[in-house]
Amino acid sequence: MTKRVVTLVLFLSLLFVLQGFAQIDPGLRGGGAGAGSPLASVAANNPITILSFFNDGKTRFQEIDSVSGTVAGEEGFGLGPRYNSRSCVACHAQPAVGGSSPAVNPQVGDATADGARNTIPSFITSSGPVREARFPFFFDSNGNPNPNSPNGGVEDLYTIAGRVDTPAGCTNSGIGQPSFSLAVATNNVIFRIPTPTFGTGLMENIDDSTLLANLHAQSNNNLGISGSFNHNGNDGTISRFGWKAQNKSLEIFAGEAYNVEMGVSNELFTQERPLPGEDTFNNGLPAACRVNATPEDHTNFNTTAVGTLSDTVQFAMFMRLLAAPTPSTTTPGGSASIANGRSLFTAVGCASCHTPSLRTSPSRFTPSLGNATANLFSDIEIHNMGTGLADNVGQGGAGGDQFRTAPLWGLGQRIFFLHDGRTKNLLAAIEAHESSGSEGTIVEDAFDLLSTSQKQDVLNFLRSL
Amino acid sequence: MKHRLLPLSLLLLCVTSLPAQELRKLPTDVVLVKGARPSASDTKTPLPEGGGVARDVYRNAYFDLTYPLPAGWIQKYQGPPPSQSASYVLAQLKPGPEFKGESKGTLLISAQDLFFALVPAANATELIEHVRDSLQADYKVERPPAEFRIANHSFTRLDYMSPLAQLHWFVLATEIRCHVVRFVFTSPDPAMLETLIEDMNRMKLSDEGDSPACVAHYAEGANVTYRVDPVMQVRRFNAVPVRLIIDKAGKVRHVHVISAFPEQAQSITDALVQWRFKPYVRDGQTVEVETGIMFNESAPPAKGVRPSPATTVAKD
Repeated sequence: MTKRVVTLVLFLSLLFVLQGFAQIDPGLRGGGAGAGSPLASVAANNPITILSFFNDGKTRFQEIDSVSGTVAGEEGFGLGPRYNSRSCVACHAQPAVGGSSPAVNPQVGDATADGARNTIPSFITSSGPVREARFPFFFDSNGNPNPNSPNGGVEDLYTIAGRVDTPAGCTNSGIGQPSFSLAVATNNVIFRIPTPTFGTGLMENIDDSTLLANLHAQSNNNLGISGSFNHNGNDGTISRFGWKAQNKSLEIFAGEAYNVEMGVSNELFTQERPLPGEDTFNNGLPAACRVNATPEDHTNFNTTAVGTLSDTVQFAMFMRLLAAPTPSTTTPGGSASIANGRSLFTAVGCASCHTPSLRTSPSRFTPSLGNATANLFSDIEIHNMGTGLADNVGQGGAGGDQFRTAPLWGLGQRIFFLHDGRTKNLLAAIEAHESSGSEGTIVEDAFDLLSTSQKQDVLNFLRSL
Repeated sequence: MKHRLLPLSLLLLCVTSLPAQELRKLPTDVVLVKGARPSASDTKTPLPEGGGVARDVYRNAYFDLTYPLPAGWIQKYQGPPPSQSASYVLAQLKPGPEFKGESKGTLLISAQDLFFALVPAANATELIEHVRDSLQADYKVERPPAEFRIANHSFTRLDYMSPLAQLHWFVLATEIRCHVVRFVFTSPDPAMLETLIEDMNRMKLSDEGDSPACVAHYAEGANVTYRVDPVMQVRRFNAVPVRLIIDKAGKVRHVHVISAFPEQAQSITDALVQWRFKPYVRDGQTVEVETGIMFNESAPPAKGVRPSPATTVAKD
């Protein structure tokens, strides 16, 4: 061997050894899902019949929607005319029904399902996350994004044109896909991945006063952190669901998703949804593509009991009654490492935003939702997260770089991280908290001051959740 | 709007006929759509957030503070904008590539406007005592809050550590213009932190001689002789803290909207510049006065005990 080869071999060996000592993301936690079950009192059917509501909601959550309900094996109704996927569970699947983006992206198959003739955008891949796309700005007449014209609305990936259950008059020339290639070429596209819904009934039932008290308690920190809340424009109370806490309640969350992600009009969002911009010129969506009477999802007057409720109400009920994920006390890394990691997580300041627990208010739904401890690891505040994470989409009171503190419960079983699913590596997600304008920089720096084994403990703790 | 935004189908036709090189990419790593942000009625009057690092020195004209960075330290990332409770990240420093030492650490320089603090604290000592009282059991106080003189200035110093993390926090806080300016050093190496604190003697701090007197609640009650309420264009839910400087004649010389959306800031500024006040008298002479006022009553009121006029008149 030449001297150069020997040097290279030695270098690679050293690199290998050093890698062995560096902290690493343990990856997806093994074992059971630890999520997807109903709350304890729901499982005990308290109050009576509530379990049937949970089970019915779960069934509907998994239904695949077709345009007109005529496709065999697809029980749902009202898909499109634009959509990102065809069922709730398609996106909320990992590690159980109600979760986040699965390992295999269903949107690849959704593009051509039942005869649809869509082009798969470059950012949708089989092994990548489920993604919702938004254009931060409208384009000008030259095809350039116009920074003086904010958009930020969801650009649905697909249309129903060509499907076996779509009228022939609804064609791609009438409702073409957005120009994703142009958006990618001009950096004018951002992504959002599905937020997991486990434990969201507890989050919904935390009183505003509890959140405000927590904000006050955390305000005098030595970390440069100072968050605020997004508010619902109708009643002024604190909103809490979605990446920017833009949605007030689970029913709003469900109704909006049904309308925006699947194209199903409902009692909360009663019209078929055009793309941003389509709603302001010409005549909106072509009549040939507005296939069904509206709202497509509605209260069912010709039945009784659980069946009376709309899908939207039952989606929300299912999510509301889902138990919080069950953390592991031993995996990964063992109980001592996890316990250390938990303390270190607080010591370096992560818990200033990722509040370990908050108390819920009394609940009229079911005992498990009331006066309970929600171990959500979030303050539900929005924080400036800097240029590195900014998506330049404003929602309510949240600006282009403000995001809700992501609840961390269930993190051990999540595949993709951050709002756009840019990484599967937990360490990379932590490092992304540091950039210009971010409230997380000092805490991320403190994390960096930990020893390798201490960092590993923090990672093990997070993956135990 | 109709002319500015093209239908997608038409846009596609236009774009397909354009050479690719004519397309302009949006810049990355830039916040183009901003949330609540600071603004001011003029560009000359220094602002708390207006400091910056240049040639290894952090300078802040508002606080009249000049802090030479430790050798080899840099500011890699700027801080977030001021918050709704008027909390500022002035600088975030850490060793850079040229740093020669072995130990690592960070320095956060922050400020809290005492007119808008959310915790019950009227001065630096009370704010630091609140930090001490809020520490969880995992932390160990190494040096309780006490006066500490450095750079010919009085600070309140608190040292604490996390035995598990083996990290130390040395905190020094002082009052300038009714703000608590805080230096937070963090490192696994307490000896290095002591050196950094000793190094603070190179810092220059004003004695506030030329600053306006800062007086809480001065924009209230009988002090205001003429008032025009701002006309808000839309309902928003963020608190809007505002500092204003009133000249010797009782006119508003400067409005600093610390955190607001642009239309809020415009409405508030337009209204405030019309306000008239009783001239502020100190030692028998009229002097400029600086005070704070919170707008947007729909926002939850701050629950902290704000400093009273009697205790917060600087240099009185």
